Amino acid sequence: MTHLYELQGITREYGNKKVLDVPELRIEKGRIIGITGPNGSGKSTLMRILAFLEKPSSGDIFFKGKRVRDIDESLRRKATLLLQESRLLKRSVFDNVAYGLKARGKTEGLSSRVIDSLSIVGLDPSKFASRSWFELSGGESQRVALASRLILDPEVLLLDEPTASIDAGSAAIIKSAILETRERLGTTVVTVSHDLDWAYGISDEVISMFSGRMHSLGPENIIHGPWERAEEGTLLKKLDDGQVITASGFPGSSKTAVIDPEDIIISIDTPENISARNAIEGTVTRMNLENGSGRILMTIAAGGQVFYARITTLSLQKLEIIPGSAVSIIFKATAVKWI
Amino acid sequence: MGYLGEGFLTAFRILFSGQEETFSAIITTLKVSTFSILITLAVGVPLGFLLGYYSFPGKNACRMVVDTLLAIPTVVVGLLVYAFISRSGPLGSMGLLFTLKGIAVGQFILGLPVVVSLTASSTEQIENSVRMTLMTLGASPGQLAMSSLWESRYSVIAAAMTAYSRIISEVGVSMMIGGNIKWRTRTITTAIALETGKGQFAEGIALGIVLLFIAFAVSAAVSLSRRRASS
Repeated sequence: MTHLYELQGITREYGNKKVLDVPELRIEKGRIIGITGPNGSGKSTLMRILAFLEKPSSGDIFFKGKRVRDIDESLRRKATLLLQESRLLKRSVFDNVAYGLKARGKTEGLSSRVIDSLSIVGLDPSKFASRSWFELSGGESQRVALASRLILDPEVLLLDEPTASIDAGSAAIIKSAILETRERLGTTVVTVSHDLDWAYGISDEVISMFSGRMHSLGPENIIHGPWERAEEGTLLKKLDDGQVITASGFPGSSKTAVIDPEDIIISIDTPENISARNAIEGTVTRMNLENGSGRILMTIAAGGQVFYARITTLSLQKLEIIPGSAVSIIFKATAVKWI
Repeated sequence: MGYLGEGFLTAFRILFSGQEETFSAIITTLKVSTFSILITLAVGVPLGFLLGYYSFPGKNACRMVVDTLLAIPTVVVGLLVYAFISRSGPLGSMGLLFTLKGIAVGQFILGLPVVVSLTASSTEQIENSVRMTLMTLGASPGQLAMSSLWESRYSVIAAAMTAYSRIISEVGVSMMIGGNIKWRTRTITTAIALETGKGQFAEGIALGIVLLFIAFAVSAAVSLSRRRASS
């Protein structure tokens, strides 16, 4: 099977610092891939490489099965990236949305295509098309920026933090516009986001990045140090409310650990006589239906730490958990993995 | 202070009565300064864009020379141009001395560093995110350059206004190259110098008011452009 993108041994260095190290990545056509991870994990660099805006320091990129050697605008025009700091051009909304088509010399039916694109992102063309760039709110600007990409009928739509700093209403509209475009054109979408609910809500698959590398473990439960060494070689992390996370093994240089949401069991009672070393009490703050798995991603706050656990809708109904419910988060010390 | 107040009153009378000699200087000023700024922009904006947008060996040295020329005194420009276009100078045969064209040459030399330097600065300051945005929308290298210049248009307009302010308010070039010839090369600034020398303050103040009004209009336009550029 030919993948839309195939990355082999890709690295990117700025000076002596390696910011990206991706031994292998394959992206199938028509999929929505979510990429999550903390700041500085290399997400934006990867996006610029996928958008052909930046060349990797080493490694090979195959696009539609062909090795990418030289990057020119014909290749760059196959993918479009909505930047994290999306800038509107200093011109009207209409001219912003029309820019990409004009650059390609495709001016036939331009007005109707601009109107369609603005409608897809929930902006009334009769109100917004003639507005200047400075007459828009943050959410409206982001939607105009997205419309400027959607009008291009892109094969690949790359979104770098598309919902950062915008209201929930705009985020929901952006989500439906992306899903509609994928449905209509079979567009491949790669979206970077800090917002796990957004990433899981829209993506078929979520990839986690940390320190420039991709991890098979999810990005949800990242636990930073300091850790205290305890008896029997275990390590302890004290939470703000005095509860303790117990981990085993040897921490890496980052002193950062993750817990796979799949390794967490949720209980509505305080468990007794269990083999797992960790039973943390917390409160459910959010529950979101995942697009890819069809399961519920539950967010639980405990002692200043946020935990994520994944359960089925059947379990949710059985346990009768709602946001605000007190639950216990149960996991083994060996479930705490060092990265 | 009495003569000052009287001078202002007479100045307004001169302006509202449409005294021909005064209005000749005003029209000459507007004519020559408009011609000068248009030529300056036609040459300066492309040069400034090239200097700001592209990287090439010696770019920093070029910037340093242009920035140094920003502070060149008008009389020095007048002196140099005079040396070139006077009858015994290398360009003496062109007959530019004591003509409006001669003044325009001097004003062009005066305004060019302003336009080049400020256009280069505004182009350099185009944020990387703007370039990236244009690239993600599929701009070719040529479209990228032209759109980048268009994105900095308000800063370029501000540069033009700043250069125009320098051109219209200079006295050294107009005096030395133009010769302050009544009805022909007398500009507002040379007329002010002449009238003040003769003790005719009212005429000087009348012309000063017109110059201030033009300066105010230019300054307001610069301010508006800067606000647009920063929004």
